[in-house]
Amino acid sequence: MTPDAIVQAEALTKQVPSPEGVLTILDGVSMSVRRGETLAVVGVSGSGKSTLLGLLAGLDVPTAGRVILHGTDLSQVNEDERARVRAGRVGFVFQNFQLLPSLTAIENVMLPLELTGRPRAEKEARSGLTRVGLADRTAHYPSQLSGGEQQRVAIARAFATNPQILFADEPTGNLDEKTGGRIIDLLFDLNRERDTTLILVTHDREIGIRCDRRLELSAGRLLGALN
Amino acid sequence: MRQRRAGDLKVVIAALAVAVAALVSVMTFADRLQRALKFQGSELLAADLVVRSSYPAKSEWTAEISRLGLQSAQTVSFRSVVMHGEDSQLAEVKAVEQGYPLRGRLRVAADLNREDASATGIPPMGTVWVDGQLIALLNTTVGARVELGTQQFVIDKVITLEPDRGGAVFAIAPRLMLNIADLPSTELIQPGSLASYRLLIAGDVSVINTFREWMRKRAEVGVVLQDASNAQPRFRTALHKGEQFLGLATLVSMLLAGVAISRAARNYAQRHLDTVALMRCVGATQRNILEVFMTQFLVLGTAGSIIGCAVGYATQQVFVYLLPGLVAGDLPWPSLMPAVVGLSAGVVTLVGFAAPIILRLREVPPLRVLRRELGALPNHITAVYVTSMLTLAALVMWVGRDLVLASYVLGGSLMTIILLAALSYLLIQLVSRMRCGVGVTWRFGIAALARRAGSSTGQIVALGIGVMAILLLTLVRGDLLQAWRTQLPPETPNHFLINIQPDQLTEIERFFREQQWPKPHLRPIVRARLIAINGKSVQPQDFQDAFAQRVIQRAANLSWMESLQSDNKLVAGNWWRTQERASPLVSVEQQYAEALELKLGDRLKYRIADQEITVTISNLRAVAWDSFRPNFFLLVPPALLNGYPASYITSLYVPRSRAHQLSALIKQFPNVTNIDVDALLQQVRRLIDRVNSVLETIFLFTVLAGIVVLYAAIQTTQGERRQEIAILRTLGATRRQLSIGMVSEFVVMGILAGGVGAVAAMITGYAISEYLLSIPYRLHIGTWLVGVGAAVTIVTAAGILGTYRLWRTPPWHILR
Repeated sequence: MTPDAIVQAEALTKQVPSPEGVLTILDGVSMSVRRGETLAVVGVSGSGKSTLLGLLAGLDVPTAGRVILHGTDLSQVNEDERARVRAGRVGFVFQNFQLLPSLTAIENVMLPLELTGRPRAEKEARSGLTRVGLADRTAHYPSQLSGGEQQRVAIARAFATNPQILFADEPTGNLDEKTGGRIIDLLFDLNRERDTTLILVTHDREIGIRCDRRLELSAGRLLGALN
Repeated sequence: MRQRRAGDLKVVIAALAVAVAALVSVMTFADRLQRALKFQGSELLAADLVVRSSYPAKSEWTAEISRLGLQSAQTVSFRSVVMHGEDSQLAEVKAVEQGYPLRGRLRVAADLNREDASATGIPPMGTVWVDGQLIALLNTTVGARVELGTQQFVIDKVITLEPDRGGAVFAIAPRLMLNIADLPSTELIQPGSLASYRLLIAGDVSVINTFREWMRKRAEVGVVLQDASNAQPRFRTALHKGEQFLGLATLVSMLLAGVAISRAARNYAQRHLDTVALMRCVGATQRNILEVFMTQFLVLGTAGSIIGCAVGYATQQVFVYLLPGLVAGDLPWPSLMPAVVGLSAGVVTLVGFAAPIILRLREVPPLRVLRRELGALPNHITAVYVTSMLTLAALVMWVGRDLVLASYVLGGSLMTIILLAALSYLLIQLVSRMRCGVGVTWRFGIAALARRAGSSTGQIVALGIGVMAILLLTLVRGDLLQAWRTQLPPETPNHFLINIQPDQLTEIERFFREQQWPKPHLRPIVRARLIAINGKSVQPQDFQDAFAQRVIQRAANLSWMESLQSDNKLVAGNWWRTQERASPLVSVEQQYAEALELKLGDRLKYRIADQEITVTISNLRAVAWDSFRPNFFLLVPPALLNGYPASYITSLYVPRSRAHQLSALIKQFPNVTNIDVDALLQQVRRLIDRVNSVLETIFLFTVLAGIVVLYAAIQTTQGERRQEIAILRTLGATRRQLSIGMVSEFVVMGILAGGVGAVAAMITGYAISEYLLSIPYRLHIGTWLVGVGAAVTIVTAAGILGTYRLWRTPPWHILR
């Protein structure tokens, strides 16, 4: 593994069964991301971007190849140990927010803090929500928030534990252009402030341009770095 | 219909299939056992149907029987004196035809105190089979010659058990059985002889029914048709109680089915809110929506029910193989009825429990495509509870045909729902306050209940009903059966002494004291014949009921009592007061009153010897006939019949080893007749034990069905939990954290549902035993504790089983 790489993929292949036979979503992808780097994975719909993100974060297992995250070979460990690797060190922002509908905004942000046993979780969560501009929305449930607000809660949750790496899967995909723009600004601002490694999946080239490096996927294969 | 491939619908089909499978398997098995039990009831008649008459069977009857292909055998019973040298004894003579008994087994032994075995036929010509008592009374032995009428016979065997003897237990002298072909040679049967002719018939139920109808249409005078259902009261009680327990099992499985369907429908509707909004968006009317979803649901319901029926039949068959020997002989073949009922009940239950929820889909606004929070299902839909209860009531009436049982089950369920809902609400309030005071995993788990306040309440209610059902069918039922069984304790009287004269009472009591037997309860009997009801004279043919006809044909035993015996219970009217000791009142046994259509205040006129007396019904009683103590259909105040000719009866327990004491008694009081009911008692005990194991088997299965439904109830929130688990996993939660969170939630849910379910089960059980089955029932706190413990274990186990797989699924599969 490259000495300063925080995450590295080697010959990653992901295949799934389909009515037409085995479908290859990712085909022998190798890549590496340095600590503090911002990387955009771009490509058209169905090119395998999100699948790659899921594999890099250890949320899914590859058919072949391996992922090394924080120095741990994720293919050698079980689901529980993969969760341990993520706990407190990996943040996520999803296209569809993935907030727990039964928890209030502050409880959603408190979750990763509490799971890693951080003291003063509530205070930190409150300050996180204030940072994303939702100080007056802490007791609201996701259903009482707009899409943009929900994604802010998700961003506050993602940064709550000061993770070393943040995975974002089409974070503006469900938002209008203006709101999406603000969310991306917030994401990059926080990323800069916390010096987090960011891996961002997007089909929006404009957003991709704001990253240090871009990788383009097409039909599951890496076309190469775009600059 | 294009959505059929979606995974959600498989869950709906599966939930319904499980429920209907439970229903059909229990029903089929219960139906087969019930028919087997009826068959055993037939054993007590030695036939499926008996035509009793005061004259020999007419040739038209036997011709019809042969035409229908039924089996038949005739018996003739009468009393006659049997002589052996100097000794003579009045005996109950029974002449039997080849083939007797058509049902059940006659058991005989080669000699007194020898091992008995099933008889392989009837007494050969020239011989008689007698019971042990007759041998003792005649001071004779097997192989000796006795005289009956003008003919001599050799005593060939000792009868130890006669299947159809119980029917006349109070009327019999010792038994002597001979071949019907020998009867003419005795010259005992002359025109006008008092003989009772019985034509035993056996065969297929439907053919028997055809014959019964044919006989009924002929309306012959002095003919009584008797089958297992109107066999003697003791056995009728046993059979009826068995049926009630089985009915309870069926009802509870239906209730469980409804609960499962309701949960599944809710889940289904919840998952289809977006689809409906989209359909509305593209122009579907409310009517379209309703048609689409109701059709879909009905097709699925039918499919699920068909699968359920198939699984149900298969399961009950496996069940039969797993438990051989539950009933003597083979179980009858499964009938199609449970499938028909199962299919219809499946669809009806589906509509009743699911329709109000599905109807709600009409109201989903198209705007939901933009704002997902719109059109969400409310936590409680009143219509769901109303239609569910009505549907259940209808099903109970339809399948169970027992209004009283139905009202107890419904009352118990309703009470549980209210109790559970109220307690859940209280707990949720309590937990909300504790929300910040506990660690993250416990907090997450316990608070999960509070956060999903509405759905938690619904789930706890569903679980509580499941717990109630299971407890009702295991612990409470166990208590009930135990209570039933202890009604025949080891020292239940096994001998009756009848025909004790009033001037012998003191001596008899002294004899009892000398033998160190408990003081006898001597009950007086005055023989009386019912001649008029409310001034109108009565004839047997005035009544349809065979029992009523018999009652009027025969002399009744009037007895009197100062106060009620413990095995009698007043069900209407008042017991006589001290000042009414000589009033012309009568207390009538409930079944007797029902058969003769009697009510309080009716006047009954009896003839006693050459006098007539009219008495007014002052109360009705329920009698536990299976107590084996002397009991009477009719009781009068203690001083009313002073001066009328009375004899006395008592019962006592004498172990086999001390039977010689009884011989001494009979020697000292030769007019007293001793009736040995030990064999009959054993027969009743065996029947109770058999019914008991049948019930345990069926209940075990219903319990399994209950656990499956509990599992299904927990499964319905799986969608929600999947999402939660995936997000928590993504955020780094370990299995330990997830499991503590989940377990704490299930434990709290289990305690709540188990606690209230247990209380509800005990109260319902108490009501059923006290008011329905008339069995004393004691509440055990242990039952409650075991119930709660078991409920927590079951709910937690089912919950973990239902979610465990999710812990191992990579979160990306769920999140995407």
